Amino acid sequence: MGLGRISKKKWIYYPVTFYVNLIRNIPLILVIFWFYFVMPIIVGRPMDPFPSAVISFIVFEATYFGEILRAGFQSVSRDLIQAGYSTGLTYWQTTRYLLVPIAFRRMLPSMITQSIVTYQDTSLAFVIGLPELVRRTAIVDGLEVRSIQLFGFVAVVFFITCYLGSIVSRRFEVQRERGF
Amino acid sequence: MIEIRDMSKWYGDFQVLSRINEVIHRGQTVVVCGPSGSGKSTLLRCINGLEPFQEGEVLVDGVSVSDPSTNLYKLRQKIGMVFQRFELYPHMTALQNITLAPLKVKKKTREEAGKKAMELLARVGIPDKADSFPANLSGGQQQRVAIARALAMEPEVMMFDEPTSALDPEMIKEVLDVMINLAKGGMTMVVVSHEMGFAREVADEIIFMDEGKIIERGTGEEFFKNPKSERTKDFLSKILI
Ligand SMILES: Nc1ncnc2c1ncn2[C@@H]1O[C@H](COP(=O)(O)OP(=O)(O)OP(=O)(O)O)[C@@H](O)[C@H]1O
Ligand SMILES: [Mg+2]
Repeated sequence: MGLGRISKKKWIYYPVTFYVNLIRNIPLILVIFWFYFVMPIIVGRPMDPFPSAVISFIVFEATYFGEILRAGFQSVSRDLIQAGYSTGLTYWQTTRYLLVPIAFRRMLPSMITQSIVTYQDTSLAFVIGLPELVRRTAIVDGLEVRSIQLFGFVAVVFFITCYLGSIVSRRFEVQRERGF
Repeated sequence: MIEIRDMSKWYGDFQVLSRINEVIHRGQTVVVCGPSGSGKSTLLRCINGLEPFQEGEVLVDGVSVSDPSTNLYKLRQKIGMVFQRFELYPHMTALQNITLAPLKVKKKTREEAGKKAMELLARVGIPDKADSFPANLSGGQQQRVAIARALAMEPEVMMFDEPTSALDPEMIKEVLDVMINLAKGGMTMVVVSHEMGFAREVADEIIFMDEGKIIERGTGEEFFKNPKSERTKDFLSKILI
């Protein structure tokens, strides 16, 4: 996806760019709805919530991760790559030792942040009846009527996992400010 | 060492270089100056095949750069290049920056490459910075690492593209001193620079470019004292305040 967006070949660049812009301007919840309710009409048979939610997430998040990849690769300047070439490195050597490692280091913080967002978004699968964490809680809540404690617990679980993630992410960002 | 014959280059419809002719002999230092956008950087990139050109010929040590059968990777090993913005690899230490190409291209052993890199760092005056990352070095130090990186491939020619124009004034001298030593040590050099003090001291020839053409060329004093064209006079009066 990310590579398609930096492609010089028009027949790759334009369709991919169109797709990325389309998906990025639609809320995730709509994509989930689409796959669950519209795809069966097209395919002709009903879909299970789980594969359908997974496909929605892949379709949706691929565009975001793709954009992160693109930004990462484009952050490596042409002159830096040419500096590699000027010492006699080959195309593959510059890609392997310069372009890829530098780009990945630069995109790591956004990658982690986006992973956190994706993880939080799993709760949206609720809308098509998939029993993810929030949904399961709602079921238990229906049985036990202790909403505050239950949803409080779920919030704490989300908070801890995401907070750990953002700490890791911030460490990489600090590293980046040191010149990456 | 370098021979450019009637070389022209276009970016689309825009002609960046037109009919460039130039011969640079082994051991010579040629300084190229000229206003922004005149094609100086493009000229350097055509010499080591980073940019293709459409007409004419460039020979480096008798090998044609535009000949499809020329191995450009091999050719570039002979031509070191130093950039305006240093372009050090940010994820590697100074030492790793210098040893990458010797290790991967020349297949030297880690010991050999490391030893040579330390010698070069000493030569550019920063032997204590081997393990520093570029972000922790001053501009002048980064540029000196960049010079050491280029020298590590034992090139026959060194090209510099405005090596001091991104530096604070107090750091310019430390970089120029390294370059002057190189030139006096017999290195063949092509230097894009507006440091006229440097040009006076070491240049065997000074070239003035404008709009993709070589407008004027001369040896040190002659170039400054009696510029023939109005454009050169005008340009010199702007940079020699
Ligand atoms: N990749 C490119 N595509 C199109 N035009 C380009 C490209 N690179 C450079 N140019 C144009 O070519 C001309 C010469 O550029 P070049 O960088 O060689 O100039 P320069 O003499 O080095 O200038 P400066 O002093 O600003 O570095 C400029 O007008 C520039 O806009
Ligand atoms: Mg330039």
